Amino acid sequence: MAGSVAFAIEAFKRIHPVEFERRFLSQGTRHDGRAPGQFRALSVAKGTISTAHGSSTVRLGNTTVVCGIKAEVCEPDVKTPDEGYLVTNVDLSPMCSARFRAGPPGESAQVASEHLARLFAGGVVDLRELCIESGQAAWVLSADIVCLRHDGNIIDAAVVALMAALEDLAVPAAAVESGVVSADRTKGRRLTLRRRLFPATFTLVDDTCVVADADDAEEQLATAAVLVVVDARGRLANVWKRGAGA
Amino acid sequence: MATNIIDRRRINGPQRSVEPLYAQSGAAAADPFARGRADERALDQVRPIFIKTGPLAAQPAEHEALSSASAASGTAFYEQGKIRISCAVYGPRQGRRSNARAGSFDCDFRYAPFACSWKRRSHVRGADEKEISLILEHAVAPAIRLEAYPKACIDAFVTVIESDGKAATIAAAINCISAALADAGIEMYDSVAACSMGLAGARWVADCAQPEEDAALCSMLIAYMPGADEITYILQHGKTTPEQTDQAVQTCTDMCARVYAVICRYLQSSLE
Repeated sequence: MAGSVAFAIEAFKRIHPVEFERRFLSQGTRHDGRAPGQFRALSVAKGTISTAHGSSTVRLGNTTVVCGIKAEVCEPDVKTPDEGYLVTNVDLSPMCSARFRAGPPGESAQVASEHLARLFAGGVVDLRELCIESGQAAWVLSADIVCLRHDGNIIDAAVVALMAALEDLAVPAAAVESGVVSADRTKGRRLTLRRRLFPATFTLVDDTCVVADADDAEEQLATAAVLVVVDARGRLANVWKRGAGA
Repeated sequence: MATNIIDRRRINGPQRSVEPLYAQSGAAAADPFARGRADERALDQVRPIFIKTGPLAAQPAEHEALSSASAASGTAFYEQGKIRISCAVYGPRQGRRSNARAGSFDCDFRYAPFACSWKRRSHVRGADEKEISLILEHAVAPAIRLEAYPKACIDAFVTVIESDGKAATIAAAINCISAALADAGIEMYDSVAACSMGLAGARWVADCAQPEEDAALCSMLIAYMPGADEITYILQHGKTTPEQTDQAVQTCTDMCARVYAVICRYLQSSLE
C-alpha cells in the first residue's frame, strides 16, 4: 500500500510538477516539509583538498559544492603593480545535474561566475597582500568552484564555499631572485579578509509564495529571485534581483 | 608554464601564470620506499576505500527524498586514500544513432582545475583527459549488457576532485563508474574492479601515491571482472621483463578481487 502511494506521488511529481508544488504552497509549507522561510542545513568543511592551497566543501541540503584555490605566480598588471589577482569560476557540469551539457560553460555557469567574481572583487581580499615584488611578481589565486550535486541555490553554496576556501587558504612564502620566484609551501600565511560575506537567496515561486533557499524543483517554477549578501557587520554587500515580480 | 587561453565564457586571469619553484623538502627527494611506505601500508595493500552512492547529504533527509527530473540515473562518490572522484551516470537514454543494434557507452573524464598536485589544469579539455576517457570506456563497456539497450546510450561523467597517483586515479575512476552504474540499475555482467601497481626496484607495490609513482620504474593498471574471471583492460607504462609483467598481472588481479569485494559489500549494505 505504501509502495503504491509512493509511486503515485512520484508519478504526480513528474507529470504535473507545477500542481505538485502548488499543493504544498497553498498550505503554507513546502514539498520537503520546510517552512517558507526555512533554510536547509548547511555544513562547511575546510581544507578538504590537499592538492589545492585552500579548499572547502559545502553541503546545503543536497547541493554539494567544492571550492579549490590554486596559487600561481604572474606579472602584475602595469596599472596596478602592487596587486595580485583573484579569478573565480563556477563550474556546472552534467555530473551535477541533467540540466547542464558537457562542453564549454553554459549560461547559468557564466552568470554565476560573473556574479561571484564581481561580488568578491569588491573588497573581500586585499589584492595588495598578493604582491611578491612590486611590478615583477604577484600571486594569482584561481578559485574554481565545482558543483558535485545540484539541488538548487547554487549561488549561496558557491559564496559560502569561496568564503571558506579563502579563510583556509595559506599563501606560500615567496621570494624573487634574479627573475625566478621560489616559494615554500611549509611557510604559508593566511590572508586577512576584509569582510566576511553571508548570502541568502529568496525565490518567488509560481508568482505566489516567497520561499527561502529554493531547491531544484522550486527553482524550476521560480518567476523571480533575489540574492541578498550581508557582511559580518550587517552592512549590505550585494542585492541582486532577477526576474519580474513585485 | 601555461599560457592561459582567453576563454570568453569564463573569468580569465592574467595571460601567463606559472608555478613558482617549490623548495624540495629533504624527505620528498629521498626514495619514498626507503623505510616502508609513507603511510605505513604493506606493499600489497590498497588504500582505504569509501564509496557513497546517491545524494551526498550529510544526514539522511527526514522525508523520503523524491528524485527530481534533473537528477542523474546513478551517482557515486568514491574516495581511495586522498583520491576523490565523483561520477554521474545518465541512461539508458536516447542514443545518437537510431539504427544501432546495441547500446553505446560514453565516458567523459575531467580533472577539476585544482585536482592535481602539479600545476593547475586549464578548463580546456587536455589530451590526457581525452585519452583517459577512452581508457575508461574500454575498461567498463565489456561489463555492461549493451545488447539489452538497443538504440540507447549510457553516459558517464567523471570528475576528479583530488588526484594522487595517475594510474591509481584511473583505477579509482573505473571503480567509481562501476558503483554509479550499479546505482543506476544498468544491467551488467559483473562489476569492474581496477587496481594499479608500480614497480619499485624488483618488487611490485600496490596502489602507488604520487611520490611513489614518480619514483617507480613502471606502472601497471588492470581492470578485472572477478565474477566472470575476465580482465577487461591492461595498461602498462615503463620497462619490465615478461616474467615481471606476468607476476604483476597475477598480483594485480588478486587485489582487484579484494577491491571488488569492498564495492560489493558497500552496494549490498546500501540496499538495506
